[in-house]
Amino acid sequence: MRNHRSDTVAAYLFLLPFLALLAVFFLYATARAVYFSFTDYDLFRPPNWVGWRNYVSLFSDALFMAALRNSILFAAIVTAVQTFLALVMAAVLNQRVRGIGLFRAAFYMPSITSSVVITLIFLWMFQRRGLINYLNESLQRAAPVLLAFLVLVVALQALQVAWERRRSLPAGWADPALLVVSLLVAGAVTWVLVVTGVVGYRDVAPVDFIWLQTRDSIPAGAPFWLSVPIPLAAIMIQNVFTTIPTFMLMYLAALQDVPRSHYEAAAIDGANATQQFFRITIPSVAPVTFLVLTLSMIGTLQMFDQVAVFGDAAPLRSVVTLAYFVYNRMFPGAQTPEVGFAAAGAMFLALLTLVVVLLQRRLVRSEGV
Amino acid sequence: MLAPDPRAARALEHWQARRRWARAGLVYAVMLAFAIVFVGPLLFAAISSLRTDPLAYPPTLAIPQLQPKNWSAAARLGNTGAGDRWFGGFEPGAAVPFEVTYFVPDGVEPSDPEVVVPRRRPGAGLGAVLAIEFAADHAVVSPIERRADVPMQVDDGDGAIAGRRVTYAFTIAYEGEGPRIDRLPLDVTAAAGMRYLDSTLTASRLERRGRTASFDNVAPGVLGYVLRNYVRTFQEVRSPATRESLFLAWIGNSFAFAFFRIVVTLAIASMAGYALARLRFRGRETIFVLVLFAQMVPLQVLFISNYLVLRDGIFTIGGFPLSTLWGYPGGMLNSLTGLVFVTALNAGAVFIMKQFFESIPREVEEAAMIDGAGHWRRYWSVVLPMARPALGALTILTFQGAWNDFFWPFIVLTSPETIKTLPIGLLSFRNTYGAVGDWGLILAGAVMSALPVIVLFVVFQRYFLEGVSFGGGKE
Repeated sequence: MRNHRSDTVAAYLFLLPFLALLAVFFLYATARAVYFSFTDYDLFRPPNWVGWRNYVSLFSDALFMAALRNSILFAAIVTAVQTFLALVMAAVLNQRVRGIGLFRAAFYMPSITSSVVITLIFLWMFQRRGLINYLNESLQRAAPVLLAFLVLVVALQALQVAWERRRSLPAGWADPALLVVSLLVAGAVTWVLVVTGVVGYRDVAPVDFIWLQTRDSIPAGAPFWLSVPIPLAAIMIQNVFTTIPTFMLMYLAALQDVPRSHYEAAAIDGANATQQFFRITIPSVAPVTFLVLTLSMIGTLQMFDQVAVFGDAAPLRSVVTLAYFVYNRMFPGAQTPEVGFAAAGAMFLALLTLVVVLLQRRLVRSEGV
Repeated sequence: MLAPDPRAARALEHWQARRRWARAGLVYAVMLAFAIVFVGPLLFAAISSLRTDPLAYPPTLAIPQLQPKNWSAAARLGNTGAGDRWFGGFEPGAAVPFEVTYFVPDGVEPSDPEVVVPRRRPGAGLGAVLAIEFAADHAVVSPIERRADVPMQVDDGDGAIAGRRVTYAFTIAYEGEGPRIDRLPLDVTAAAGMRYLDSTLTASRLERRGRTASFDNVAPGVLGYVLRNYVRTFQEVRSPATRESLFLAWIGNSFAFAFFRIVVTLAIASMAGYALARLRFRGRETIFVLVLFAQMVPLQVLFISNYLVLRDGIFTIGGFPLSTLWGYPGGMLNSLTGLVFVTALNAGAVFIMKQFFESIPREVEEAAMIDGAGHWRRYWSVVLPMARPALGALTILTFQGAWNDFFWPFIVLTSPETIKTLPIGLLSFRNTYGAVGDWGLILAGAVMSALPVIVLFVVFQRYFLEGVSFGGGKE
């Protein structure tokens, strides 16, 4: 008993700095944010209680509605796209090969680099005469050549598979050995076609797509809640790019634990690659999918850095998110800060995050994973 | 197929083996493609940061800064300009020889180009308000001499054009006494019809429909030429008040912030982690629940109050900010102390330490207990020395977090420019230089600020991967 009491005293002494910080920067901060959301505080004059007014007026504030729309679309689209692509890429790479460590280091590069650096680089690439538009232009220019190459690959592959099957060998449509041959031969034939001038590069005007300084959104003419502002789409592309590798490696680690024999059994039953992907791969990595979805939703709902770095490079309403809305109302430049209003917006963001977490908990429990 | 024919079975096995090899080859190819996609933008930005204008269209990897011919010329010119092969310059007594070659089509009478050392300000933004010395005030261009004059043909797609290749040579001298000058810009304008081909150093850009070959610095030295934008970030971006290099100040602040944050995090997390892993006490469960919630609440909820805590202290007494009692009469905003203070709460670090301490067997401590050592001795001289691997991992992850941190420095460090950390400094780069399209400085700054973490990652990859598995890697 004596020992237990001395333990308690010692434990709280050890925990003192941590608990003090937790009390000031978390408990006190949360309580004050809740309090401020019911006041008209402006950083300078003492706050007055205003009840639910801030919450009510949020929904008639155009910037808040834009932020809410942007945050929800951003979180939903980015999460869906990057989770799906990460899983597909992991499935493609799911082979026991040597030297994966080196590639893994390369894949992690975007996610260890600071968000400011990545955003600056993407801002540069999204300029009117930047790399993205140039790649788009090059793709259009090379379209006939690429098309010829693809047609050749498909034709050669079909031919070879048919031939092997006539020899009653169990060749699948994506048979790797035959695919290597098809790719090499198609490459050579395409080269000959280009040199002899049968197919050639098209003349296209430089692509001048405006990614940043625009108020347009896609799809054009869609209702407010479904239209993605083009600068926001640029941030989506960037976010997908930086986050896919991390999630892909998480999936890859999980896939390496799925027994080979499952796939072999399915192959014997005649399941093709697509069926295997949907019947075996997706169910067996379900726990990772829940983790990835939650991490991704929380991360994307709180997106802030990219908007701040974009700054005046894009119209505020086209990129603003809930997180940035809170900051913007707290430090609105020349106007009077609206801390109460900002706090109400922050509560909304917290609520959304909480819903995502609880939903994930619920799903995980009901799935029994 | 069902017949147990050994030869057929062996043939089938060969057939399968071939497929395994081919599949491995394809997987490597796909992995290589993915690696190019994910590292590509960073690498391309790094290479483009060497270009005079990274926005020049079309984007290309064939840039003059990567040609060995220009490296040796830059070294030679830097040596004649200021006796410095690396960074060049323009000093009293210098005589910089230079040649420019033109294609002159038949029918055009070649005439001497006009050579001018312009009074050009280096860059816009912060560099534009500083008083600097101009090379134009001291440089004298010698009479122009026509050197080689040989017949040649040029093919510009619409058939060959006959003409001559004419080279002009001249020398730029620094006459009289004066200060050492960083750069020697040059504009060489030819008569209409003459076409710029080449020069001792490749022109930085062609202006006036190709008639004027413009050089930013014809005495650059190797590094002054290849890493021009990098040298500019240090030379041009200075505080207007003190002429102190802002970029150096930002680097210093970033390192200081990372250092203090590491010290604070290690101390707090190891102590708290030890208590949570080893000691039984009332309220333990409550703390876990609190920490769980702390990780779910968005920063934007907390930052309103935390900003005010830095400004006023924890609360004000009758309008009198408590912070005045701590020796920060103006509050802790715009100070690294305030920044370290407000980012010190790191529940993830506590969990890492707790998990590690739980993996150390209790028997280790029991010997110390028999000797009558108290909790502090057991923590300080027994368990902590064993925790070096965990402390190392935490150091690296904390460094990365502090170095890349954007939100808090963005809120806390707003003025003056010299108090900022690198990410916030880069943002003011973007605001000043992005508007005028000077992306060379921005990309050079971005690449430099990414380097320390990349180096750390390459050396300590293992720790980063563990960090990811510890909880998403995000703070």
